[in-house]
Amino acid sequence: MAIDPQPDLRINPLRKYVREDRMPHFFCPGCGCGQVLSSFLRGVDALGLDIDRMTAVAGVGCTARIPVYIKMDTLHGVHGRTLAWATGIRLHSPETKVVVFAGDGDAVSIGGNHFIHAARRNLDVLMIVVNNFNFAMTGGQVAPMTPAGSVTMTTPYGSGEPPFDLCALAVAAGATYVARTATPHIARMDQAIKKGLEHSGFGVVEVLSQCPTHFGRYALGSGSPEKLLDWIDGICVPKNRADSMTPEELEGKLVTGEFVHRSRPVFRGSTFIDESTFINESDVAEDNAAGKGECRS
Amino acid sequence: MRTTSIRFSGFGGQGIILSAVVLGDALVIQRGLYAAQTQSYGSEARGGQCQSELMVSDKPILTPIRAFNDILVSMFQTALDSYIGSLRRDGTLFVDSGLVGDLGRVPPETARHEVPATETAIALGNKMVANMVMLGYFAGVTEMLNLEQLDAALAENVRERFLDLNKKAIRAGFDLSRDSETNSRTNAGTNNGANGGRR
Amino acid sequence: MEREYAKNAKNAKNVKKEKRVLTGVHFMQGNYAVVEGALAAGCDFFAGYPITPANEISEGMSKRLPGVGGIFLQGEDELCSINAVAGASLAGAKAMTATASAGYDYFQEGLEYGVAVEAPMVIVDVQRCRGENFATQADIMQVRWGPAGDHEMIVLAPSSVQELFDFTVRAFNLAEEYRTPVIVLSETTIALMRERLVIPGEDEIPVVNRKWTSKTPDDYLPFQADPWGVPEFAGLGRGYHTIYSINPHDEKGSIEWDPDAFERLYTRIPAKVAKHREKISTVQRYRLDDAKVALVAWGSEARPCLDAMEVLRERGKKVGVMKLDVPWPFPEEAVSELGRLMDLVVTVEMNVGKYAGEIERACNGRCRTARVTKNRGMIHSPEEILEALGSLEEVR
Repeated sequence: MAIDPQPDLRINPLRKYVREDRMPHFFCPGCGCGQVLSSFLRGVDALGLDIDRMTAVAGVGCTARIPVYIKMDTLHGVHGRTLAWATGIRLHSPETKVVVFAGDGDAVSIGGNHFIHAARRNLDVLMIVVNNFNFAMTGGQVAPMTPAGSVTMTTPYGSGEPPFDLCALAVAAGATYVARTATPHIARMDQAIKKGLEHSGFGVVEVLSQCPTHFGRYALGSGSPEKLLDWIDGICVPKNRADSMTPEELEGKLVTGEFVHRSRPVFRGSTFIDESTFINESDVAEDNAAGKGECRS
Repeated sequence: MRTTSIRFSGFGGQGIILSAVVLGDALVIQRGLYAAQTQSYGSEARGGQCQSELMVSDKPILTPIRAFNDILVSMFQTALDSYIGSLRRDGTLFVDSGLVGDLGRVPPETARHEVPATETAIALGNKMVANMVMLGYFAGVTEMLNLEQLDAALAENVRERFLDLNKKAIRAGFDLSRDSETNSRTNAGTNNGANGGRR
Repeated sequence: MEREYAKNAKNAKNVKKEKRVLTGVHFMQGNYAVVEGALAAGCDFFAGYPITPANEISEGMSKRLPGVGGIFLQGEDELCSINAVAGASLAGAKAMTATASAGYDYFQEGLEYGVAVEAPMVIVDVQRCRGENFATQADIMQVRWGPAGDHEMIVLAPSSVQELFDFTVRAFNLAEEYRTPVIVLSETTIALMRERLVIPGEDEIPVVNRKWTSKTPDDYLPFQADPWGVPEFAGLGRGYHTIYSINPHDEKGSIEWDPDAFERLYTRIPAKVAKHREKISTVQRYRLDDAKVALVAWGSEARPCLDAMEVLRERGKKVGVMKLDVPWPFPEEAVSELGRLMDLVVTVEMNVGKYAGEIERACNGRCRTARVTKNRGMIHSPEEILEALGSLEEVR
């Protein structure tokens, strides 16, 4: 994208990235998705990334609508398969930078298997998971990160399900950049997303975000975005402080900060390409004919 | 030539399917014939019943299986017991004489060849090539192809480091067939299976 | 372990280039013929998840693709495989996946997406009997109607190892030509069979490539069809800012709901295939010129039909065979012509009787119809077909 030599300072500089013809957007008043959208664009702009060479991948959900408002190639609309698409794009087209936008349900409920395998492989994509603690677009049902005991549309007597720690899952499965941040902490969110955009390998940024319409009203008894931001702020504990706290003190809290930032070769496909393992076609037939092929189920 | 149906049978790991593949490869590539090879096997990684059917013709093969085979090769007693019923009564039977002891169910009009395939393979240093001893013997009896044609097919289908051993095994089997008075018992014309298949 | 990985990954630069097209005569297994057909058609991305009896396709691809500069992915499941194929396709790849019946169940959402965003994809389904590697043709309706929403699937049904090669090439060409998923409906019988295969010279194999747009991003409408019915392709990462969404979208790709745009889209998408039906859905006619009885079959079942036809012809019966290369889109003209010309049309298939309903519908009461069906894990023998026909007065 060409840089305007004489920018009109009365216009938000990020507007050049936005599809104005799609406005007004579909997010509820007070939703955190708009904050994440802005934070992502600030990261792209600050790093001078060429958004024309990037592709956004989004499944289904409120979060999945974020890239629909950005002038950027986007895949959208199959629930849970964001990382599968991203894998195909990255492997075929390593010059295309891929960013996944997924809600908590998309990422680790229906998409959970893809999530752990993308981490294991160190797939070279950044995944921004907007965790609003429930399935919001469908009306506020319980989700993998809904706090235990919460009332939702499908847990009217309180949730009997313990939640995931998405970041711990990502670290354990092999992700190479993992951070948790939250919408009340704009500067730290910007920093985490920016760092994720710079990272090479599988990066996961979990953003704790408010859903006033559903989670707020049902689980927390308030549809006020401000109150929800206060609630999120109240459950966040920065990692350096959490390190000296007991498990009892951390009960009901979520640790924010960076959990891992490491380097590992990125995924280039399942086949190891190495001259010494290079086998010709007759061996393929032979392998199959000589015992292997006749004895397989 | 009339379309001929050959069934190789034994247990998993004996190289039953490889026998059919090498034979089919030689007939298609070296002799320019048509062949269709099908197979079935149990879910066990090793062991279990294993069979492969090879149809051969000088014109394209339509239905790739037959209710009755013209030739049956059985490398193990249970394989013979399973498939003797689908061999034409006037067909040709090859068995590994060391692993098939009971020929009680073989009809009297069936041409039978008892081949010490595994025994010969052990003498060559590896019992895994019993299938190739049998294939060499088979080639000698049926005259469907010569040793050079089998060698060429082997080179396509067997890893290079095992190629010499497999070639030796084929030759040993072929030699046995030339000396069938002492090494096998034959009670009928040996070529009727290969040349006289019925529809 | 990680250091070992890194060391070996560096060796990736030393890949020995291999030939894409293995011209010559082969004695090859059907699943490998699919691999060679795909490579000859220009396939450069494959993703698959293990399942018998389709494993040799993945195995062959994993060995062959690196040598021609392609990518092999073993997905963590079928959902990964089909969606990775969709992603790679939108990034510009000629991409394929393969599975067997149970795995094909999982493909439906990826197929629905491929239809909606008009992504060329090739899908191989080796039909098998519920968890066992025995022969069947029971998936014929699933491949037509599997994914949700309106669509017209293209399904090719090879009957031999040679056709597995030829039809795989054709599947890639049709996928590119119509920008849609194309299915190669294989069967255990032919997938595991070895047969004579002749691979032509590279320049004798017709290869169709995608129609990339020459328009600028400002002039480009990603879902506006050309007169052929198919939009030009821009692909990802080239500044065209396209939204490839399964949601209803207009020509610009905007996903706001608009009933007019939705109806326009889901009239055009099936129609781009349906209006070229007679060109796509080829049939082979055997001794039908003077026939009064036609046996109709697709896939492997055409083989025993031809054997049975020869036997009946020797008995003086005027019997012919129509082999349907492409069961979907349904070859309407060819089959309804049989209804006009024949006294009896018999559908022969390896299931409880599925496609027969379509044949009978197209014959439309103008001739007698009958079915010869079997679902016992084994292709019909000619004798079984003859026995079943023996009770019909036109054949007796």
